[in-house]
Amino acid sequence: MAQQAAKTDSFAVRHHFLIRRLHSLCGLVPIGVFLCIHLTVNASINAGAAEFETQVGYIHALGWLLKPVEIMFIFLPLLFHGVLGLQIWFSGQPNVSTYKYGGNFRYMFQRVTGGIAFVFILYHLWHMHWLGAPFGGGKFIAHGEGMTESAATAMQDVVFGVPASVLYGIGVLSAVYHLANGIWTSLITWGITIGPLAQRRAGYACSAFGVMLAVVGLSGVRGFKTFEPEADSHMVGVDTDVPPPFVKTVSDPGGS
Amino acid sequence: MSKQVTVAVKRQDTQTSGSRWETFSIPYEPGLNVTTILQRIAANPVTVEGESSTPVAFDACCLEEVCGACTMRVNGRVRQACTALVDNLLAEQPDRITLEPMTKFPVVRDLHVDRSAMFESLKRVHAWITADGYFDRGAAPRMSQDAQEDAYPLTTCMTCGCCVESCPQFNDGSSFIGPAAISQAVLFNEHPVGKFDANARMEVLAGDGGIADCGNAQNCLKVCPKNIPLTQSLAKAGRAATKYVISRFLQK
Ligand code: HEM
Ligand code: HEM
Ligand code: SF4
Ligand code: SF4
Ligand code: FES
Repeated sequence: MAQQAAKTDSFAVRHHFLIRRLHSLCGLVPIGVFLCIHLTVNASINAGAAEFETQVGYIHALGWLLKPVEIMFIFLPLLFHGVLGLQIWFSGQPNVSTYKYGGNFRYMFQRVTGGIAFVFILYHLWHMHWLGAPFGGGKFIAHGEGMTESAATAMQDVVFGVPASVLYGIGVLSAVYHLANGIWTSLITWGITIGPLAQRRAGYACSAFGVMLAVVGLSGVRGFKTFEPEADSHMVGVDTDVPPPFVKTVSDPGGS
Repeated sequence: MSKQVTVAVKRQDTQTSGSRWETFSIPYEPGLNVTTILQRIAANPVTVEGESSTPVAFDACCLEEVCGACTMRVNGRVRQACTALVDNLLAEQPDRITLEPMTKFPVVRDLHVDRSAMFESLKRVHAWITADGYFDRGAAPRMSQDAQEDAYPLTTCMTCGCCVESCPQFNDGSSFIGPAAISQAVLFNEHPVGKFDANARMEVLAGDGGIADCGNAQNCLKVCPKNIPLTQSLAKAGRAATKYVISRFLQK
């Protein structure tokens, strides 16, 4: 058992509580909020390429700010939450084979889905993000000077064979479970839901949220899997050498 | 031949020695419980192979689930031996009853473990009311009926260890003080006189091994023989720690 925190203790021991609350907070904001926006934007492909492009355009309209924003509000929190999450996972001693309670399964799934999300995100970043380009990935090119295609056709190049769709399906479901259950536990962690009835009601709300976000996320996967650029009215007659009109407005904000 | 009950016991001679299984066969009697089984074995410690053995060491005191001394793993699940009825155990698993010591405490011998870690946790969270001193402080403030009813269940904790045994977050690799001590800290923080030491308790709850180490598996609630609303205490501790840390930060 640990002793009282003393000046000689390590930083991690002295600030244990704050670090854990920061871990919880990072999971909710920004990562959780990012996931909701990200999956919704992806699902907009179902409304056609034009809609998806417009949505991506809002994000990429940040221009040079995009990279710092990505790093500050997505990558650093994700790295912190993910690495500490793995450490938390391995500091516990799951025992679902002996104690087969719902809560115990949720506890274990929270860890397993976090682990899957970790691996998925690495694969996903390699697959689509410019970070993956040096390693033969980074297939999604929507921003910067190099963009000659529409975002949606770029997606078409990238993906979505059956194996990738299955991986994305698993990734989406894991991340969504992890967020929905994470919101439920965070309400206890922060002391918002105290009694059993409040916790049960929060459970219903989080489940409903999770089901909705899963539908949105999976519809995005399905949208990219079945999407055909030629068949999309927006794409008809688009000359691939000429950037679509949307790109001009983004890569050319006020002549920068 | 009368009906026999097969009992497998995990045995260990000293704290550091390895463990082994021994199997005994006991004549069935209606109303038999696990402590009685251990007494029957002590009366005739001969294994099913016919080898003579020694009485199985175990701890027990009240024999009515109020002291917590006889806590052990019965058929793998942690509970009190004195209220583990053989009829129920056989209904659940007919071929045999297995008895093992708890896994989260050092084994003294056989089924007898050293639960002082729990006592240390109680000391850490200052799980008592400071009532003695040089001055007469007068009568304590009265507690409302509602507050008494909220507090009463928490006072029934017998420090048996079931909750920490089932808690995935309480183990050698973590400094977590466990749900029982946290629940006691909440009990004394809500007591009109116990409140005087609330900050000392909050320092521990908001420190390393405190409430932040709970992973919300809620096993503790399920296994507690006293049906103590532990998850409610844990959430209250979470809320109090959130407030405490913010106000400590702002007041410095
Ligand atoms: C429907 C399935 C998904 C699709 C089609 C999809 C698509 C994309 C695309 C195209 C990018 C590149 C954006 C860019 O380079 O600017 C991206 C980035 C990213 N995705 Fe996904 N994604 C999906 C699911 C997920 C899931 C489940 C997560 C897990 C939390 C996730 C996490 C990320 C992260 C962290 C980035 C990098 C951040 C950024 O570039 O802003 N994605 N995704
Ligand atoms: C990158 C891989 C990830 C790993 C290894 C991971 C791991 C974990 C672990 C072990 C916990 C439980 C913490 C505890 O009980 O104290 C947790 C909680 C949480 N995670 Fe993650 N996670 C990851 C990614 C994510 C993502 C992508 C999101 C957002 C969608 C997220 C949101 C949350 C939330 C909201 C909580 C609840 C915090 C609380 O109970 O207070 N995590 N994570
Ligand atoms: S809280 Fe319940 S399980 Fe835990 S020590 Fe007290 S009585 Fe035993
Ligand atoms: S709710 Fe917390 S204290 Fe109780 S078993 Fe789960 S992790 Fe342990
Ligand atoms: S002997 Fe006291 S609880 Fe079993």
